[in-house]
Amino acid sequence: MSYLEDDLKLALQRAEPSGDFTERVLARLNAPPRKRAWWEELAVLFQPPRVQWVALTVVASVVIPIAGIQYHKEQRLRAQGEMAKQELVFAMRMAGSKLHKVQQKVLGMSQTENRL
Amino acid sequence: MTVSSAEGTAVRVQEDLERSDEGNLPAFAEIVREHQAMVFSLAYYFLRDRGLAEELAQEVFLELHRSLASIQSPAHLVFWLRKVASRRCIDQTRRRLFWPKLRLEDVPEPAARTREADPLLTRALARLVASLPEKPRMVVILRFQEDLDPSEIADVLDMPLSTVKSHLQRSLAMLRDKLARTVGEIAI
Repeated sequence: MSYLEDDLKLALQRAEPSGDFTERVLARLNAPPRKRAWWEELAVLFQPPRVQWVALTVVASVVIPIAGIQYHKEQRLRAQGEMAKQELVFAMRMAGSKLHKVQQKVLGMSQTENRL
Repeated sequence: MTVSSAEGTAVRVQEDLERSDEGNLPAFAEIVREHQAMVFSLAYYFLRDRGLAEELAQEVFLELHRSLASIQSPAHLVFWLRKVASRRCIDQTRRRLFWPKLRLEDVPEPAARTREADPLLTRALARLVASLPEKPRMVVILRFQEDLDPSEIADVLDMPLSTVKSHLQRSLAMLRDKLARTVGEIAI
């Protein structure tokens, strides 16, 4: 063991509290429980480790609704996009069938002209 | 302490524990007297504030009174007291971050000393220990005040053994360095 470690043992020797320490502990045990004021109840929330839980709860109560709203918005946008896509496909099909009909008519007319 | 007197103390504390659990206050007072120096010193060297250390030590014993049913043996009692005192000290310092700080030079030294030591060096070392960060500080106090080995400290502080060892090594290096400078200043 080094000199420093020996010196630390000397520097950190057990010390006695004041002479009436035990009596004061017993007096506190015998004392009727004091009702805490509202600000003391509130202050308890800001003492570790409770403060960590309070902070976590506050963050959760802010983050979870925001995430929920964001998710809902995204779902709505996705549904709108899906609907627009279906409408576009339907319109393309309609246009395609019309074109087909026009093409048939043009073909029919050109065959008639050839025969004449 | 001889083996037989240690055994005698253990038997007496076990009896006090059983009687305290049945609501016997004089038996509980004996437990407090037996362990008050240990709990108070942990708090005192950690906080370097005698009043606050006494308050914290009292809280630890009040918590003990509420938890007597869960204490299984005298050894468990010592382990429990060290664990609760350490945890409360660390919590107390975190709370004190928002409080005005006392100058360490204003804090009186504890009255009781069992061995003679160089008072300047002792005072400087205790002050340097108090300047360590929270967890390394408690590791150093448990190691040199309570004479616990690193695995026992790891149990008390719920900390990996490797972390305890590294806190000890780094703290000793830091103390050695700071002490060299402080002793240099004292010598000048």
